[in-house]
Amino acid sequence: MAESESRPYRVALMGNPNGGKTSLFNYITGLQQKTGNFPGVTVDIMSAEIRLATGKRVSFVDFPGLYNLYPTSRDEKMVVQSLLHTSDPYHPDLICYVADVTCLEKHFLLLDQLRDLGIPLILLLTMMDVEQEGDLAVDTKRLETSLNLPVVAVNGRNGSGVEQLMEHISLFAALRPAAQPGAGGYTFSEDERRLVEELGQVFPDFSPYKRILLAHHAQWIPTISAGERIRLLGCIGEVGFRTLASQVREVTQRYRQFGELVNKAVRRRAGTGFTLSERVDGFLTNRIFGLMVFLAVLTLMFQALYTWAAWPMTLIEGGFAGLSGYLSESLPPGMLTRFLTEGLLAGLGGILVFIPQIALLFFLISILEEIGYMARAAFLFDRIMQFFGMNGRSMVALISGGACAIPAIMSTRTISSWKERLITIMVTPFISCSARIPVYTVLIGLVIPARTVGHYLNLQGLAFLGLYLLGIFAALFSALMLKWWVRSDEPSYLLLELPDYRFPVWRNVGLTVWEKVKTFTLEAGKIILVLSLIIWFLANHGPRERREAAAAEAARQTQVLGLDRQASEKVSRALQLEASYAGILGKTMEPVIRPLGFDWKIGIALLTSFAAREVFVATMATIYSLGQEDSERTLRQRLASERNEQTGRPRYDLPTGVSLLLFYVFAMQCMSTLAVVRRETRSWKWPLLQFAGMTVLAYLASFFSYQLLQ
Amino acid sequence: MIRLPASEKTLSSVKPGFKEIISHFRDEQVACRCISMGLLPGSVVEILHRAPFGGGCYVKSDRLHVAMRREEACSIVLV
Repeated sequence: MAESESRPYRVALMGNPNGGKTSLFNYITGLQQKTGNFPGVTVDIMSAEIRLATGKRVSFVDFPGLYNLYPTSRDEKMVVQSLLHTSDPYHPDLICYVADVTCLEKHFLLLDQLRDLGIPLILLLTMMDVEQEGDLAVDTKRLETSLNLPVVAVNGRNGSGVEQLMEHISLFAALRPAAQPGAGGYTFSEDERRLVEELGQVFPDFSPYKRILLAHHAQWIPTISAGERIRLLGCIGEVGFRTLASQVREVTQRYRQFGELVNKAVRRRAGTGFTLSERVDGFLTNRIFGLMVFLAVLTLMFQALYTWAAWPMTLIEGGFAGLSGYLSESLPPGMLTRFLTEGLLAGLGGILVFIPQIALLFFLISILEEIGYMARAAFLFDRIMQFFGMNGRSMVALISGGACAIPAIMSTRTISSWKERLITIMVTPFISCSARIPVYTVLIGLVIPARTVGHYLNLQGLAFLGLYLLGIFAALFSALMLKWWVRSDEPSYLLLELPDYRFPVWRNVGLTVWEKVKTFTLEAGKIILVLSLIIWFLANHGPRERREAAAAEAARQTQVLGLDRQASEKVSRALQLEASYAGILGKTMEPVIRPLGFDWKIGIALLTSFAAREVFVATMATIYSLGQEDSERTLRQRLASERNEQTGRPRYDLPTGVSLLLFYVFAMQCMSTLAVVRRETRSWKWPLLQFAGMTVLAYLASFFSYQLLQ
Repeated sequence: MIRLPASEKTLSSVKPGFKEIISHFRDEQVACRCISMGLLPGSVVEILHRAPFGGGCYVKSDRLHVAMRREEACSIVLV
């Protein structure tokens, strides 16, 4: 077939969540991974293309984990959709099914359903190291003959068995054996058999089991035409097919069938006493200790973020300041040099300086995820989250929101209740994301003294923690309001598997950090760089008559006051900035923000921050490097020396600093997040509401804090 | 949610440390989810911990550990 020659052989990794599927995928593909989308929706899917020893191209796809073919969340639905249609761009030619030998019955349910679908399969057994410890003996030969599938023991941590797997895959890719649909252990009920017959006229190309699946998913499956859906629903009504009853019947029947096989193939030594995970959980999920540990983990995380990330940040800051100083001295003076040093380099520095913090945060979060702690956090906080109209799983989204609201909002797809998911989406942007860190860092450094309280705690670190807590408080408060406001009748569930604790696979942690840093640098960095260039332009250009007037005024002042060359240049630059487009824009909005303690320079930064918060610092860097006589000075020092034109006090004193900090805690200043919310809620209503609500709250908080502190 | 005769014993009322056997489920939705995770009629279950603030249960069945809400545990009827 021409079509199959032109595209790579598609191998899907499938299995239950927590079965070691992603570790294996990471081991096989490493840095080749690409994040893609299921067609039409924003469900992410990881894939990677690899060339086998035979030269054959193979595309590995890491499907989201699922327990059976009756999905409840969107990610799971997409998997079923891909499997049903051979024309789907992710429809696999071969499925590598990853099953954990320590609870094989549970993992065999989906395997059995897949066998009925008729896609070639290889069974991969993970956690075989438990077998070596002597608690478990698995007869792989028996499994192989009973299931009529190749069975390979693999380990995603050290890669054992991967070579053998690759040999199997190249064999499958070369021979392309057709699998028999209906190889699984399910026999249809009388009603189902009638339904299969009826549907044969509507969907002649679908195997009997696929027709049953279509009937189960008749309500949502998007790939059938309106006419087909009507006929499908008609057949269902005629036969009296009840999907839930049929599901329970099917699942119990399958369990009974392969339960026997598993009993014969797997011999277990009865567990004595509590396992290590259970003993650890006695402490970590304890009502009192569990909560204390969680708080301690969070505090530690943010202290680490503040202290560990400090020195690489200083290094990057210093490096860029030095480079910029060197270039402006060695290159001929002119617009191009200034563009290079004050526009481009300043913008780049503004992006790169946050990489240490983002990397560190994702490093810590993904370790917690890898260990299995996140599921415990979801369990611990489910009741509290329910009080706020959310779900234990929302906790994971809210914590990830501490890194970036965008992946956090995307992670809410695992919450099956729409109301709980919506509330989580709406309040996640209140959690201080890594983009706020630079703003917090610069401003806290300016207005909070660097003292140590009680020997260990850094006062600035405490202020940092305070801002985070404030964000959390705002998130919970607005969640409560939304809980009252949004109506919903659909039931919600927790039912969450708590995997055994395990040592993190560093490859997985590393790949997560690499992926997030890459996304930040390329995606957010692009916006930041473009915006800082635009701002540099706005700050360097203006209406001619104004700029001429500013030049004349500068000349007049120099003459009248008898300024030396350096002072005169400074005056001239300040006046030129005021006369630029940026100055005009900032001045226009000054009356609105003056009650908050902001001047027009902050105004410019606020405007550009609406594109993305992290732009604040880049903007400030650009704005102030224009009025700067000494290019080696870093932004922080520059801001500290800035004076209020009217009072003569430091421009960034406590009231203004606190007001600005509060504004950044509450305001929705991220176009990308709004775009994601629009995509995830499929309406403009929610992102607009979110934007308006957060901005009003930010304005009020800043207003009152400034008026009170002043 | 369906009201049940008082004689039926559900998982939510079991004290930590006592092993019980699942008889059936009172809610089809819960049934489906439980079964697909490996909690079947006939499975031996035990509550290990309870979450704070009247929260869910930490349920153990063989090597499987599942967190569920009180309402979900309420619809798992024991032998």
